[in-house]
Amino acid sequence: MTAHDLAYSHREAFSIDYGREVEEEIARLQGVIAAHPPIVQQYPPRWLAIKLLEKDQDIQMRLKVLKGGAELLDQAEKSTAHLEAVIGDDSDVIIADHRYGFINGLVREAVKRTREDRLTLSDKIDQVVTSRLLGIPIFLVAMWIVFKLTADVSAPYLDWVDGVISGPFTNWAVAILGALGLSGTWVESLMVDGVIAGVGGVLVFVPVLMFLYLALALLEDSGYMARAAFVMDRLMHALGLHGKSFLPMLVGFGCTVPAFYATRTLENEKDRILTGLLVPFMSCGARLPVYVLFAAIFFPRNAGTMVFSMYLLGILTAVVLGIMLKHTLFKGKEQSAFVMELPPYRLPTLRSIWFHMWERTGAFIRKAWTIILATSIILWFLMAIPVGGGKFAETDVDRSAFATASSIVAPVLSPLGFGTWEAGSALISGFVAKEVVVSTLAQVYAVDEVPEVQEPTTFFEDIGEIITSFVGATLDTVKSLPLIIGIDLFDEEAEDEPTQLMQSIQQGFETASGGHGALAGLAFMVFVLLYTPCMVAIAAEKQELGAKWMWVSVIGQLALAWLMALLIFQGGKLLGLG
Amino acid sequence: MLNQVLREIEAASGAVELGELKRRLGIDRGALEGMIQFWVRKGRLVDDQGAGVAAAHTGGSCGSSCAGYDGCAFIAKMPRTYSLPPEK
Repeated sequence: MTAHDLAYSHREAFSIDYGREVEEEIARLQGVIAAHPPIVQQYPPRWLAIKLLEKDQDIQMRLKVLKGGAELLDQAEKSTAHLEAVIGDDSDVIIADHRYGFINGLVREAVKRTREDRLTLSDKIDQVVTSRLLGIPIFLVAMWIVFKLTADVSAPYLDWVDGVISGPFTNWAVAILGALGLSGTWVESLMVDGVIAGVGGVLVFVPVLMFLYLALALLEDSGYMARAAFVMDRLMHALGLHGKSFLPMLVGFGCTVPAFYATRTLENEKDRILTGLLVPFMSCGARLPVYVLFAAIFFPRNAGTMVFSMYLLGILTAVVLGIMLKHTLFKGKEQSAFVMELPPYRLPTLRSIWFHMWERTGAFIRKAWTIILATSIILWFLMAIPVGGGKFAETDVDRSAFATASSIVAPVLSPLGFGTWEAGSALISGFVAKEVVVSTLAQVYAVDEVPEVQEPTTFFEDIGEIITSFVGATLDTVKSLPLIIGIDLFDEEAEDEPTQLMQSIQQGFETASGGHGALAGLAFMVFVLLYTPCMVAIAAEKQELGAKWMWVSVIGQLALAWLMALLIFQGGKLLGLG
Repeated sequence: MLNQVLREIEAASGAVELGELKRRLGIDRGALEGMIQFWVRKGRLVDDQGAGVAAAHTGGSCGSSCAGYDGCAFIAKMPRTYSLPPEK
């Protein structure tokens, strides 16, 4: 008995019924196979006939070298053509369909399941989390908690980093420069007013981003983020937009650059371009420091809610604009359906959360030491160059090359309540990267700051103070956690004093807006939300959508940002707000 | 059974969740995934993860802080999607 006989002798009794038409062709092919002993010796006739109907390329290759193989292949071609003509589908699909049907029937008869067996825990949670009624409210509550955690709970650490950078760190830098004989020179100004103010102004927000990335890692690793995409997908589809549009948008909450590349998952060109135009309205992580800074200055009691509102406004703007464009410029056929595979819920591990949080925070810090450092140095030089007389690095910043160039845009921003060269310069430099908006504000206002008179301290006293204040910040953070559910454990009097930078920005906006600082601050936040993304994102946009649509997007976003900020500032004034 | 899966997807409006499809057809998730993979091999469904990977190899990066689409730290874990191919 051969190995073949041993393998197949007990299986002859079992066979799947593929239906009358298929069985007739199998029988026809078996007839041809039986006429060629060399083939029969190598392959079981029924198995070979089915493989031929499935158009198995390996078998076809092997038959070509056997005697009678050509005749068999010729018959197989006729049989598959006949089946495809009669049944109207590929012969391999017909075979596979019958097999799956057989297996399904077998399982149904052999396995008895209760309702509990059929529904896993993930299924049960999904019945609530992705339900048509509760899906969107749950998503909004999740987002609100994320931004409450980000803006309110991280505040003590933000103050701690600010204290370390503006205190001991600056003092050490000044001391080292003094020891090198550079005290009072332009090099000291470059280090303190340029590098430390610029890069430090952004690094202050690292705790905010860490908390954001912590919350996002929790949502991602638990499996909820995928559900959020599914829920929003359904909403987008219901509004007439392509359901899959929300996937690139969700990527856009992290960074706009990969979000543009993610639009490639949309197969239709119109949908892809439309989604590409909407992606920049999602607030990327780089815009968060701007929101947190301005919310802390103008809306200290509702900072978390204000940050959440910015993200929500971005989504709403994208949805409304998307609906308008879908029914005008991008009118097209109905969207086809697609399958979304949601991962099962999991308990996130500390290691995975830490990895995600640190990976993203690390990317932000690397950006601070490269792009933001370079921009801060360039801006410092522009602020040091005098216009209309004066000495390098000793000129009044209002009469610097930077102020002169930036003041060109100030009249355009005046109706929005922030028509100053400082605000204009921050928005212009924000074109490099959105974090630079904050670093520029920190630089232009740092120059005007009056240095605080501090008691001289030793290095070890500074280290002791850093550790003590860190412990204090940690305790305050723990006390901040109940803020998420509206419980304030802090004393009324214990509220943090605004920093010098915050006071300077507030004064600047109050003056520019004629006493409507909060409205102007809100208008500025909305402008930052809606205006042109950074230059790398624009390059990605050009690559994905082409130059024409890139320009439409750049000009359109600037116009929309200006109009929305105007509406907020002038509308708010008319209504007597702020 | 195999055709029924494709018909359900074609007839759906917008996103169909795999678990929902599983319940509707009364089959195991593993079996359903196998059927979807069959249709992907046949070209009747497109695995969008593939599109994302294609973007990874051609896409740029956001300067010093990013390793492109494939290694971008900011990309959230997206659910895998399978679409019907565009009509020719």
